[in-house]
Amino acid sequence: MPLFALVTKEWKLLLRDWHALLLLFAMPAVFILVMSLALQNKFAEQQGVNIHYYLVNKDGSPASEALVKRLSAIKDFKILSSDASASELIDQVRDDRAQFMVRIPPGFGKAMQNTEPLPVQMLAGPGVEPAMYMLFEAALRAALVRVYLQYALAPLKTQVSDITSAGHTGLNLDATDKLLHAQSLYQVDGRSRRPSSVQQNVPAWLVFAMFFIAIPLSTTWVQERQQGTYARLRSMGLSAKDLLLGKLLPYLGINLLQVGLMLVVGILVVPWFGGQRLTLGHAPLALTLMALALSFASVAYALLIANLVSTGEQATIFTGVANLLMAAVGGIMVPRFLMPPVMQTLSQFSPMAWGLEGFLDVFLRQGGLEAVAPQALRLFGFGLACLALAGLRLAKQRGKA
Amino acid sequence: MIQIEGLSFRYPGAKHDVIRELSLRIRQGSLFGLLGPNGSGKTTLISILTGLLPLLSGKISIDGKTLPGQLQDIQAGSALVPQEYAFYPRLSIMENLLFFGGVLAIPAYELRGRLTAALAVAGLESFESVRAEHLSGGLKRRLNLAIGLLNRPQLLFLDEPTVGIDPQSRHFILEAVKRINARGTTVVYTTHYMEEAEMLCDEIGVLDDGRLLACGTQEQLLNNTHSRELMVTLTTAPTVQQSGILNTIPGLEIINRELRMAHCTEADLKHLMKLLAAERLDICRLKYGYRNLEELFLQMTGRQLRN
Ligand SMILES: Nc1ncnc2c1ncn2[C@@H]1O[C@H](COP(=O)(O)OP(=O)(O)O)[C@@H](O)[C@H]1O
Ligand SMILES: [Mg+2]
Repeated sequence: MPLFALVTKEWKLLLRDWHALLLLFAMPAVFILVMSLALQNKFAEQQGVNIHYYLVNKDGSPASEALVKRLSAIKDFKILSSDASASELIDQVRDDRAQFMVRIPPGFGKAMQNTEPLPVQMLAGPGVEPAMYMLFEAALRAALVRVYLQYALAPLKTQVSDITSAGHTGLNLDATDKLLHAQSLYQVDGRSRRPSSVQQNVPAWLVFAMFFIAIPLSTTWVQERQQGTYARLRSMGLSAKDLLLGKLLPYLGINLLQVGLMLVVGILVVPWFGGQRLTLGHAPLALTLMALALSFASVAYALLIANLVSTGEQATIFTGVANLLMAAVGGIMVPRFLMPPVMQTLSQFSPMAWGLEGFLDVFLRQGGLEAVAPQALRLFGFGLACLALAGLRLAKQRGKA
Repeated sequence: MIQIEGLSFRYPGAKHDVIRELSLRIRQGSLFGLLGPNGSGKTTLISILTGLLPLLSGKISIDGKTLPGQLQDIQAGSALVPQEYAFYPRLSIMENLLFFGGVLAIPAYELRGRLTAALAVAGLESFESVRAEHLSGGLKRRLNLAIGLLNRPQLLFLDEPTVGIDPQSRHFILEAVKRINARGTTVVYTTHYMEEAEMLCDEIGVLDDGRLLACGTQEQLLNNTHSRELMVTLTTAPTVQQSGILNTIPGLEIINRELRMAHCTEADLKHLMKLLAAERLDICRLKYGYRNLEELFLQMTGRQLRN
């Protein structure tokens, strides 16, 4: 009976607090949407056309024409046409209005037959990330090698076929394209696909947002303490257990609603804005287990914070800093595999990392209950520990001050 | 009956006790006023009595039940109305009452009756559905009180229930408290307004700096023969010789035409009158005893009640 009153009270209060509603629901939803759309190209989806470059061909040879043709065929990088002078183009690149400039020097085709070829110039803008630089350079190199094979080595073809054994078809340049078969282990409906940015981002920001429940939870608790309602409740003989459960249960519900909302954003809203649709994987039970484990962990963590701080400002600042740290260490902002070994080890201690790994198991790796069980167990353990500490702290406060 | 013996309390980490060796009896059915300036320890004392703060040293029994062992029994029969607005601003009056009714686990068949009674005593019937945050200060105080009545307490602690409200609401609350007390509920009423204590309470304890300075009915306090103050203004200043004669009364101070005595017994007074008559010194103004608690407090502590 007291518990029922506590839970309904919490819901009513929350429904009437639009600041909290905004923080709990609107913010994460917008976050997921913006992050998914903003990061689309970073994860090289099909429509990765936002890398622009100037291509200046000062050479009229068949080799340079072939190179231009090859480069034009690459969908991920888009050529900008311009009549501007080379120095003007360089300025554009310097201002990051285009990411690269590629200049084929006069005499490029002719020099190819020499031992000392004339290099194509590639210039990158200052805002180009190292990874993007490497991608572009690799693509350019591949095109160059192909053109080089064709125009510098093809004339030797007859001699080569003389050396090789009879029946050999000789030098087949098109075979170079068939030397590699690339495929992502991510699958949709049994077929290999490249994972979209939504797929890789929703889990991370979901985990991140869920831990922010500590702010509204602890500020309401602080308010109750300051407003004397807490004293009144205690004078009515309300137990510490009821107090904790009275917060745990409603906020657990809210946390799960958050998960639902963010998944809906990934499935319905992101595609509506032109992004790719989130797919839920094939393990609804594993997904549910992860959502429950993460909710429990984050609400218990929130209860601990609520019992450690004494003002609303403290709650907000503490939660903000602690969550950002957990997120940075836990691979929310930078994928774990990109971190140096020390950080990777450290990140095993971030509850956000457990949540993220579990969700990635479901969303990217087709994992089921078994795959997520270890992460879920850790989260439940973390939650229980937080809850126990919060209970101890509460009991101590009641006994002392 | 509340019985407190040798109670001392110190907040964790603090250097001084905020309740010092306090002993007090409050009889059953009393409307007891705990009068003291801000920071004197009223809230602390009430918090200990309601189990919000632990009993560190001393003994407390309430209706024969002792703290801390029988806290639950004590809590079941009493209610605390904190000095803050201890309810949820975003809930309406009715929602607040329902919530606290739920926390108290009042059975459904009784709930309606209790709600109606609480609303009636606090005069809130026509505001049921108004959100608490939209109420005036006076109505907030009344809601604060109403919630304290839900469990039909035998013992009601009211911590400064009239702070910051208009005279009408104050009057309403004082009348309501009188009615609650008249129905048999023991009321412990803390305040730093001495008029309230004088008007409302049958017994008063004066608290200062964690010590109980005096305790009893108003008459007992004001008529305390050992500590009555005397102030006399003469028509003319006494001569040096006359002053010498008057100074035979110990404790009498003479400043020009003024005679003062901080602690003047009736015998002292009669003796002084005789001397004045003999010396033919005429009295133009005389004040003996305390007109009110304010003066008593000033006399006992050298400070004003309201700081
Ligand atoms: N939680 C606390 N921690 C430390 N000191 C406190 C605390 N609450 C009150 N005090 C101190 O105890 C003294 C008595 O306070 P209180 O009982 O609230 O007085 P009153 O209710 O008469 O105004 C004051 O000096 C106050 O500063
Ligand atoms: Mg107080």
